[in-house]
Amino acid sequence: MSALLDGELPKGEVDLLVRRMARDAELKRAFGNYILAGESLRAPGGVMASQGFAARVSAAIDAGEGVVGAAAPAAPARAPVRWRRPLAATAVAASAALAAVLLVRPDSGDSQQFAERSGAPATVPVVALPVGGASPTPAQNQRLAGYLVTHGQYATPMGRRNAWSNALAADPGIARVIPEPVEAR
Amino acid sequence: MRRGFAAVACTLVAFATLPAHAGADDASAWLRRMTESLASLNYDGLFTHSSGAQSETMRIIHRVEDGRSMERLVSLDGSGREIVRTPEEVHFYMPDRRVVLVEPRSDDGSLLRALPSPGPKLDALYTLDLRRGTRLLGREVRVLDIKPRDAYRYGYRLWLDEQSAMPLRSEVVDGEGRTVEAIHFTRLDVRDRIGAGELEPAVDTAGFQWVRSGKRTEPRVAGSGWQVRRAPPGFRLVARRVQVVPGVPVPVQHLIFSDGFASVSVFIEPGSAKGPGPPESATIGSANAFSTQVGGHMVTAVGEVPAATVRDIALSVAPLEATAAPATEPKDP
Repeated sequence: MSALLDGELPKGEVDLLVRRMARDAELKRAFGNYILAGESLRAPGGVMASQGFAARVSAAIDAGEGVVGAAAPAAPARAPVRWRRPLAATAVAASAALAAVLLVRPDSGDSQQFAERSGAPATVPVVALPVGGASPTPAQNQRLAGYLVTHGQYATPMGRRNAWSNALAADPGIARVIPEPVEAR
Repeated sequence: MRRGFAAVACTLVAFATLPAHAGADDASAWLRRMTESLASLNYDGLFTHSSGAQSETMRIIHRVEDGRSMERLVSLDGSGREIVRTPEEVHFYMPDRRVVLVEPRSDDGSLLRALPSPGPKLDALYTLDLRRGTRLLGREVRVLDIKPRDAYRYGYRLWLDEQSAMPLRSEVVDGEGRTVEAIHFTRLDVRDRIGAGELEPAVDTAGFQWVRSGKRTEPRVAGSGWQVRRAPPGFRLVARRVQVVPGVPVPVQHLIFSDGFASVSVFIEPGSAKGPGPPESATIGSANAFSTQVGGHMVTAVGEVPAATVRDIALSVAPLEATAAPATEPKDP
């Protein structure tokens, strides 16, 4: 999360983190608090977002296609963004959405002040948190695991160890199945 | 006595004058040593496997007997999954799904002989750099950087034990230098002997479903000939099989591509009765997979390479009869 907030997390990992947060309540709560803590540290005036912000981040992640409506009264709200599948650019979108989370100063009466500090546009009141792809079905998961085990048999010793370590990884969310559009080739 | 002293002195002088950055030949030699050590030594180690936000502790036990290697890889966190490679089979225990996947062991020795060893071909795809590193686990290490020359493959940074050439730490690095996957040993014991009992799984499989694959067969049925028309540079077809993959209900064509370091498997199975589905991609740690439908078959490319590489390979798959000649053809291992 620290790397994410520092903008140093690769897009693919941002995507992974977003999806993992969709399932992990503790992680979601920690993320919301992390944002609040970082924001309060950066804010010269010490203006804090309301405690409800973290919960709303959490709810938005749960909702998948939902939005976090920032309670910035001066800012006009955009229409909620609906995430359409197929999701060819999930990672990019997730990155953009999370960047928006970081750039929006929610629950503050002074979004403009925050925008000036962060360099973000002041009129980004709505944050979409897309949930791209889908959890693999048991059949997909088993097929992928089987493929990895078989693939590992034909790799170099190091390749085998890496492939099999990935197959062993406990979190089923480590594998995400993302429908993709394919252009004619 | 004087001759012995001179020999020791020469060794010390040679060591002291070893450049901080050794040449590519030295790097290739260390890469070869590492591969041999991983395959031929008896060892028992604990390591942390990290990918993205995921980190997991695992144990690996590797045993060699009569020239054949066996190993057990165990997830110590959460799922308790294990993979045990016996002389005859590979067993994948999935207690979280109450399933054991079983498949015959491949003759890895013959395949490895078919893979290009470090040399000019590998040099055309990767640059190798070797330097001294700081100590890890109390041991002196060499750091070997394997950097790809294009975007079709990942880079690797390996911390190799000076004495055994075992990788104490390894990182898979993407084209922008970011770590995709890291394996960091917290303990590694290289032993003279590992008991057979240490390869026994800890999983109680009572009530588990055993999914056993069939024996491998040679390509034999009509339409079983497939090719990849445009393999990414450096990747060549090193083997092809028809086999039953655990967890996949029908025999599949299995094509194996390698650039000498990274490898990609292409699995081709008859399409489902439901008709073609949309192409899909998946990321499993540092491995990427891409599935698409070709001629009524589902084609899946899997490998520890960038997503674009498996995607390009999968989308280049075509039946053999569709074109005059394949771009790449295997040398039978």
